[in-house]
Amino acid sequence: MWVYIVKNFFYSILIILGVITVTFCLLYIIPGDPARMLLGQRADVKSVEAVREELGLNKPLYVQYYKFLTKAIQGDLGRSYSTNREVTLTIIDRFPATALLATSALILSTIIGVLIGIISAIKKYSLIDNFSMVFALIGISIPQFVFALLMALIFGAILKWFPISGYITEGWNHLILPMVTLALRPLAIIARMTRSSMLDVMNQDYVRTAKAKGLSNAKVIFKHTLRNALNPVITTLSASLAATLGGAFFIEYIFNWPGIGLLAVDSILKLDFPVIQGTVLFSAIIFVVINFIVDIIYAFLDPKVKLT
Amino acid sequence: MTSNPEKINTELKKDIPDNTAGRSLWYYSWKRLKRNKLAMVGLYVLSFMILVAIFAPLIAPYDPNDQILEFATKPINFKGEVLIKKERGSNGELQYIPIKKIVTDSGNDIKYIDYNNEEKTIPKSELNEKTPFKTLTFLLGTDRFGRDVLSRLIYGSRISLSVGLISESIAIVLGLILGALAGFFRGTTDKVIMWIINVVWAFPSILFVIAISVVLGKGFWQAFVAIGLTAWVDVARIVRGQIFSIRETEYIEATKAIGFKSPRIIMRHILPNCMGPVIITGTVGLATAIIFEASLSFLGLGVQPPTASWGQMIFDGYKYLIAGTNWGLAVFPSLAIMITVFAVNLLGDGVRDALDPKLTK
Repeated sequence: MWVYIVKNFFYSILIILGVITVTFCLLYIIPGDPARMLLGQRADVKSVEAVREELGLNKPLYVQYYKFLTKAIQGDLGRSYSTNREVTLTIIDRFPATALLATSALILSTIIGVLIGIISAIKKYSLIDNFSMVFALIGISIPQFVFALLMALIFGAILKWFPISGYITEGWNHLILPMVTLALRPLAIIARMTRSSMLDVMNQDYVRTAKAKGLSNAKVIFKHTLRNALNPVITTLSASLAATLGGAFFIEYIFNWPGIGLLAVDSILKLDFPVIQGTVLFSAIIFVVINFIVDIIYAFLDPKVKLT
Repeated sequence: MTSNPEKINTELKKDIPDNTAGRSLWYYSWKRLKRNKLAMVGLYVLSFMILVAIFAPLIAPYDPNDQILEFATKPINFKGEVLIKKERGSNGELQYIPIKKIVTDSGNDIKYIDYNNEEKTIPKSELNEKTPFKTLTFLLGTDRFGRDVLSRLIYGSRISLSVGLISESIAIVLGLILGALAGFFRGTTDKVIMWIINVVWAFPSILFVIAISVVLGKGFWQAFVAIGLTAWVDVARIVRGQIFSIRETEYIEATKAIGFKSPRIIMRHILPNCMGPVIITGTVGLATAIIFEASLSFLGLGVQPPTASWGQMIFDGYKYLIAGTNWGLAVFPSLAIMITVFAVNLLGDGVRDALDPKLTK
């Protein structure tokens, strides 16, 4: 077991090194001079040169890469062009908002998604099954930003039930719209996944045996089918968690939710490259870390996982 | 009891048509797909969209970039009256004078009221001889520059579909090559390629797409390169997994025994047999690519104006939706994206069921 954990740990480190390298490349293949972007187009040559010197842009590429790498490992991602604040501190400030949004949305989508999936599987090909599955497919087909705008319009602008912009410091009801919007896609995926996985398990011999020995329907479904059907659902869920903890870009942007996603979109629109780099890097590292943790949990829980 | 083998054979053969010899997996998959009504709806809608995109210049009632500022943000089925000038614009387009109404039409002059409520006169000789006067109908209304929303919607389908199809093709080619290399050669090659896959995989795809298009600059080809560069990992993973299982089969053993070279084994014997899952991944990827393109345009990072794209139209139209002045500007392009992606997903589900006989019950 320990060998497995240590091996996985080092592989994760290797991936993070790759992630840092890609992020470094992103900034350095940008057409244009970062120093000039920092100072604006009207800055004189002298101060541009001074900034180039300060940022180390005059040095050869491998020196710059080495500097970027060592700084990134120490958690130093440079300063924002627009606010001059340390990127790492800004990201740490923004993370709680994203974490709150991501976890609440995923809890919501898991509960409702699994429920819809179970009902659809039990009532296979019924009206309610067809309806739910078309709903789920729509949920997958609608772009997040379109759904966000739709929710903001209906529940914010027309019905005025919930505020469409802001954070929970102004009241918990600010969480509702972004949460529901973010929940839709994972909800739809989980519902589809639960249904197909339930149907698979329901055809297994041990479920037939459970029925044959006279167990009640509820017992067969919850004790024998659901427990075994949930494995792929948990995999999907952990992937969603890893992805959304890096920021829900369009939703945070549209609902003005002060998380990593809003920071990323803002920095992209302002071409604030250190912040773009920082948020991209952060999201990717979160993804690797969550996956590492999930793998370890799996190894403990599921004896079928090969420890190689 | 009849134990005559001849007779049993003919009995059995009765149910099988004679021409079964050359029928492949694709034949049966297509038959299964045709039986799936929802998938066929998806296929028809998608084909319709592709036809619209190809024949956009013939279908669109107006040029998508023609502006009549007087007719800005008009509602659905707006009818505007114009006088048509004799001389044409620099691109040979018709030049319009928007009018509120014609006061008098006598002899050589036409007296009209323009959009500043001023009465003006124009000699007939300056106007188009055949049709000096025309009522323009804007079925889905106009945007803030007085451009026809329907025409822009029709032209926008070109961007969505072409970016979707091209970027997904890039993804499939890249994914096939790298996945095949990893799966076939294993060892170090596999380790290196898997490492690249895992690194790209770690980035949230939409943010990665956005970051790449920021780096490459805004525009059409940047959009599909950015999407293609992120989407290939899904294909590569699938191909690699498939090849791992296929290369253990006996017929691959046989090709090696005969002495075929690696490229031939990969191209002729392994890849064709893992195309099913690749096609499934490709359709899912196409839906995602269309969404990504719209998202990029929504942020202003995709195709640049004045070229019409659905994401850009939604972004422009949203203000008018919230203000309650013109809801169509944002709603129609949103519907267009949803219908297209929905159709692709319906088709994708159908293709998956058709190619995977285990699932069909």
